[in-house]
Amino acid sequence: MGIKFYKEPELKNTIMFCGWPGIGNIGISAIESLRAVLKAQEFGEIEPWDFFNPRKVTIEKGLLKDLEFPYSKFYYQRIRNKDLIFFIGQEQPSEGRIRYAEGKKAYNIANLVLDVAEKFDCKRVYTSGAAVTQIHHTAKPRVWAVPNRHSLIEEIKKYENTILMSEIEGRSSSQGTITGLNGLLLGVARKRGLEAICLMGEIPYYLQGAPWPYPKGSKSVLEVLAKILNVKFDLSQLDELSKTVEKNIEEFLETLYTAEAIPPQVRDEIEKLRYAGPTEPGPITKEEQNEMMKHLDELFREGGWQDEKHF
Amino acid sequence: MKNIFKFTEHPRFENPSLIVGWDEDSGKLSPKVIEYLNKKIKFKSFCEIEPAGFFSLAGVAIENDIARFPENKFYYSQRNDLVIFKGSEPQIEQYGFLNAIADFAQSYCKIKDLYTISGTISPIAHTNPRRISAVYNQEAIRQKLRGYGLHDLSWEGPPAINSYLLWVAKNKGIPGASLWPQIPFYLAASEDLHAVKLVLSFLDKKFDLELDFGELNEKIRDQNITIDRLREEDSEINKYIGMLESELSLSEDEQMKLTIKVNEALENKD
Repeated sequence: MGIKFYKEPELKNTIMFCGWPGIGNIGISAIESLRAVLKAQEFGEIEPWDFFNPRKVTIEKGLLKDLEFPYSKFYYQRIRNKDLIFFIGQEQPSEGRIRYAEGKKAYNIANLVLDVAEKFDCKRVYTSGAAVTQIHHTAKPRVWAVPNRHSLIEEIKKYENTILMSEIEGRSSSQGTITGLNGLLLGVARKRGLEAICLMGEIPYYLQGAPWPYPKGSKSVLEVLAKILNVKFDLSQLDELSKTVEKNIEEFLETLYTAEAIPPQVRDEIEKLRYAGPTEPGPITKEEQNEMMKHLDELFREGGWQDEKHF
Repeated sequence: MKNIFKFTEHPRFENPSLIVGWDEDSGKLSPKVIEYLNKKIKFKSFCEIEPAGFFSLAGVAIENDIARFPENKFYYSQRNDLVIFKGSEPQIEQYGFLNAIADFAQSYCKIKDLYTISGTISPIAHTNPRRISAVYNQEAIRQKLRGYGLHDLSWEGPPAINSYLLWVAKNKGIPGASLWPQIPFYLAASEDLHAVKLVLSFLDKKFDLELDFGELNEKIRDQNITIDRLREEDSEINKYIGMLESELSLSEDEQMKLTIKVNEALENKD
């Protein structure tokens, strides 16, 4: 179990950004977009075999040429005297059939990521994921922010379009859970005395099981990151993608309504969200939400993957 | 890693070859090959890998009314040139498990090479000539096995556990080959004794095992007679197998019907 460095850049007061796949791939898309825009250079990776099973084998004329594992790579860049490290993990390590990381492997990989953070004088870590909530897919997603220490709250309050857990409508407390590595990393960073903030782009809860990305959520996160770094990005590509996905969602739902694949009350509940403002607490009840999810989750599962041939 | 191995004996080896098979396989290929070898050459288990850490152990699986438990054992015989490993595919820590097999085989057994066995489900008739496709982890072993009638495989996609093991072995400098005999799809859920014999014939030739195939030949003949009888009784099944013999493809529906009928006939025979 280890980290392989291709080079060891000299970095100071570094900020680290971490992205893993998750609901709507909101976090990884935001971090990967930022990395790509800033043209960060790869400088190391976590050796995969203790965390992941291989995804692909290449056999040519009888010879086993390569076995490909999900990657977990580190990149660096310097902008305006700010040293940045990006960590992009192609998969969250899971044990058994659990979708998101938990347990020993997750704890180990979180520690390896933060070993790199500390080695390169990192002072702040950002993770990013999805906030599943009662929002319509035509609405602009907000960003939920969770810091790992109280002293960061005042700073977060200055971020645009960002809210703390205690500010979310319809919640009786400022408590909640961040599943997977985005959450775990905050905890492990806190244990090590590192500042960390998780930024979560909102996604409609009826799309949480959907097999496609939700770029609108990523865009909201990216806008916050751009402000933090005080840089301007061209987000037109993400805008285009958001429009396409939104159009596809509309068409998908319309097909379901027409085919009566979901009951009329589910349609009414989704439509209720279309006209609800972001500050309106709970436009539909928890029971209505659960009823909708029963139908939609089944639909997303249908036509799923089939067992493939393998060698 | 020592504590994951439980020894019952400490045999000595002189650069043996390791044969690896798994409990679950198409046409019950690798368990049947290993069962046959164990019976004919009187292999005896001498060490096992403890399941904790590699299997969920949240209870036991029940198959055909019997409670199952993962078993991962190394076997040896008076012949000191062969070691067998038969195991269950690990549910967790695949790399750790495969690494343990390769490490143990290299450091304790001092193996010179390894061979894995797995069936590959194919759209062929049981009467068609079969072939064994092979994957090698080094050019040298590919050259060494020229002349054994193996066919080079080309593939890009999800890896099977045997390819993963071959890769782990390659990184340790252990030459290895995976053998992939064809299994007609309608025999995948039952037993494909013809494929079992194909692999045993390769091993017999490679390691001069002098295997007696009498018992196996009889079983193959019985299986063929059962399917022939089904073909005589059911013209649709005869047509489907005939199409496969002529290298014509069947629809999903036809494949399903053929599989169900053949499996019913083989079960009733038993």
